[in-house]
Amino acid sequence: MTSRGTPSRFLQSVLQNGVGREFIEEGVVDYAKKNPATVVYVSPQSCRIPKIVAEYLNGNVREEIITSKTAPQISDLLTKLTNQSGLDVIRIRKPFHTDNPSIQGQWHPFTNRPPCIGPIRPQKQEAE
Amino acid sequence: MVFLTLSCWIRSRGPDRYWKVQEVLKHARHFRGRKNRCYSLAVRAVRRAFVYATKARKLKKRNMRTLWISRIAAATREHGMKYPALMHNLTKTSVQLNRRVICDLAVTEPRSFLSLAKLARARQQEGFRAALGDGKEPAGVFSRVVLLQ
Repeated sequence: MTSRGTPSRFLQSVLQNGVGREFIEEGVVDYAKKNPATVVYVSPQSCRIPKIVAEYLNGNVREEIITSKTAPQISDLLTKLTNQSGLDVIRIRKPFHTDNPSIQGQWHPFTNRPPCIGPIRPQKQEAE
Repeated sequence: MVFLTLSCWIRSRGPDRYWKVQEVLKHARHFRGRKNRCYSLAVRAVRRAFVYATKARKLKKRNMRTLWISRIAAATREHGMKYPALMHNLTKTSVQLNRRVICDLAVTEPRSFLSLAKLARARQQEGFRAALGDGKEPAGVFSRVVLLQ
């Protein structure tokens, strides 16, 4: 995987955006009601491949295929998906981020140069 | 009479060739020329690209360090010093800032960097006085070593 061949992003805080509060409350209630046995939460769409679709608050949708996975594996997957925020799992360019990187003013070629001409003063009128 | 031998010659090959080829080609889509379209050329180009990527992980650290050093050297020369003098005197005053942080200070906080350069110059003058002055004068303020208890 090369750095220019794969997407990358900058560090972001987890922004809450979108509708999903009720969905999260229902999901938590479902998880509380689920036993570690063979209870399956079936979505109304009939997919050919069994999938878990996780929609996050920032709009990202993550699909995990669960064919031929045992129940503890699926529950581990579910806990992993619940603990994730929706940010993309791609290369983060810097592990830090600031909105105000420079306090004293960013360097430019004239910061450390003394001015050649002195302060501008009104011209002396010597005729009168 | 039915011809049966012809039907025995038909083979059913693997059904997944398209996806296996796409797995390789997706890493070659931003290449130039036929390497981004033709599988045989793309396989070699993608392998080389991955090899370069693994080798470059060590080189990136080296390149970033040389970049920081050149930026710090340029910033110190603006203040009338040289890079080796600055780093040596900063370590002698036990300022344990690495090159990355000093480079960021030189770019975004020019006055803090100026204060660091002045500190290093003062320690340098004290070192010269201690070396040339034959020990009769007391050591300077910045030469004192702080012992943490």
